[in-house]
Amino acid sequence: MSPRSASSASRRLAIVPLAAVLLLAGCATVPERAAIRTTGDAVVDGNAQRAAAPVQDRALWDFRIAASALRADNDAEARLRLDEALPLVGGILANSADAKRARGLFAAESVKTFIGEPYERVMAFYYRAILYWREGQPDNARACYRTGQLIDSDAEAAEYKSDYVLLDYLDGLASAKLSADGSDAFARAQANAKDRILPTYDPAANVLIFAEYGRGPRKYGGGEYAEELKFFTKDSAAHSATLAVDGRMIELPAYDDLNFQATTRGGRAMDHILGGKAVFKRNTDTVGNIALVGAAIAADSSYQRRRRPDGRIETVGNRDAQTAAVALGAIGLIGKLAAAATTPRADIRMWDNLPQRLSFAAVRLAPGTYPATLEFQDSSGRTLPALTQTLNIQVDPVDRDTVVFLSELKR
Amino acid sequence: MKSTLRFLAFASVAAPALFLAGCATGVKNPSGVPVTEMKADERGFVAGTGVESQDLVAVTDKMARGVLGIPEIAGAKVTPRIVLDPVVNETRFPINKDIFLTRIRTQLNEKSMGKVRFLDREMMKTLERERDLKRSGQVTASADPNVVEFRGADFFLTGKLQGLTTKTSAGTSDYVLYSFRLTDARTSEIVWESSSEIKKQGLEDAAYR
Repeated sequence: MSPRSASSASRRLAIVPLAAVLLLAGCATVPERAAIRTTGDAVVDGNAQRAAAPVQDRALWDFRIAASALRADNDAEARLRLDEALPLVGGILANSADAKRARGLFAAESVKTFIGEPYERVMAFYYRAILYWREGQPDNARACYRTGQLIDSDAEAAEYKSDYVLLDYLDGLASAKLSADGSDAFARAQANAKDRILPTYDPAANVLIFAEYGRGPRKYGGGEYAEELKFFTKDSAAHSATLAVDGRMIELPAYDDLNFQATTRGGRAMDHILGGKAVFKRNTDTVGNIALVGAAIAADSSYQRRRRPDGRIETVGNRDAQTAAVALGAIGLIGKLAAAATTPRADIRMWDNLPQRLSFAAVRLAPGTYPATLEFQDSSGRTLPALTQTLNIQVDPVDRDTVVFLSELKR
Repeated sequence: MKSTLRFLAFASVAAPALFLAGCATGVKNPSGVPVTEMKADERGFVAGTGVESQDLVAVTDKMARGVLGIPEIAGAKVTPRIVLDPVVNETRFPINKDIFLTRIRTQLNEKSMGKVRFLDREMMKTLERERDLKRSGQVTASADPNVVEFRGADFFLTGKLQGLTTKTSAGTSDYVLYSFRLTDARTSEIVWESSSEIKKQGLEDAAYR
């Protein structure tokens, strides 16, 4: 082949990889989502976001909306959202195409249907239990606590398995109220509470106070390719709370800490899969780089200039070098494309309006309306005045417990 | 050179084809699955290890057959009156408990040919209000409202759901024991009791472990 025709063939060939890049760019884009106008109402805005969200994110929005609704005294919405999500979250997800893709090399973990990390699933059941108790179904509330502890049994280290204090404590309290034996559950709760002495059960206590304060953990991706699921935790200002009602000061200490629960779960099976993807990505990228450098070197040697006996300079093609350049170029292209397409990114979708600390108290109050003041204290016991709330507690003369839900969080 | 060009052409087509294949496939049912009607005793494709409709159907069918077969019901000279007492859930699965007794009641009413009657104690407040309206003359009555006609129960039918769960790296296993009993309201004797047990197990995808 003459140098001129070889040059035009090379130009035509150069278009082909460019076409490949353009085609793949079509894969890399995401569909446009319509802009959502916010109203400032967390439940309304959450539902708007949920309607526009991908199907695999619906449970995440159900969680968020449920928490907001509970804080806004909108039990119906909270119940609706949790009953939508819990069958999925509490089931066994197997033979799922989304999960299979998430385990594959070329899809991020976040393509799988969201069900949350164990601490998030536990909280979904915890909130649903509050609603069941309010509806006069302490046995169904107890079922939620039991499922919560089972979900938490997935921790890597034995000492962190099923270590929520409140789940066992409330399991036992529900049993006591149902005239069953709650002593085993109480013993487990006390073991988890360690040095903090838990109040003994009073089955006649008719007002159950659930309190939450602080801000929960935030997820982020660590590692070279964000393949490691990590948690950002900040110790919230509120370390304890008190409720002043009916001339009494009711203590609301923090029994459980979601920052602790999130960070003590340990490794996941998915972490190994993502680690493998990261290694593949790194290796194919390296192979691609080496091959492309080799291709460049080979291309440089593919034509040589020499002087003919008659003195003229001629360009001679080196067929072996040309072949090597093309082959190495193809390998390099494939390697770089494979590396670029590999997505080891960990799933950092998170239930972002969770509290840090959970508390509980049970008291006896006669039917009536009681003005009350909720205060939060810092680690030294000093009141945080900006967080103080006043409320009314309505105790009705019915045959079910009055359930009061108090939260530092507004949304 | 010709074979080199062919090779490059092949590689440049194969590479994008491979990665486009990675982009385009793996989405099962991208358009969703249309709603299909299923039998209540059929297992659906959304499954767990907990209480599901096919379990409810199997258990309540068995209980209804059992109640109808006992001498106190089959051989009763006067139609027995039964009150449903709420089922107690001791499992880890929050469930609609009323649905069990509702189905047993409807099965018995369908199949007993009037051999049993159920007392609607859920309606008592409403019925008492209606009786008071009749007594005060605010509404008409077809019989003397001052006569006590609310029936007393001959039997109480109730049940309990209990469970055992095991969870290891191999999966989760749940055993649920459904037990129901008929208690004589006069003597407190348990005249009939039956149970049904169902065990399920499964392992979630590694993406969720």
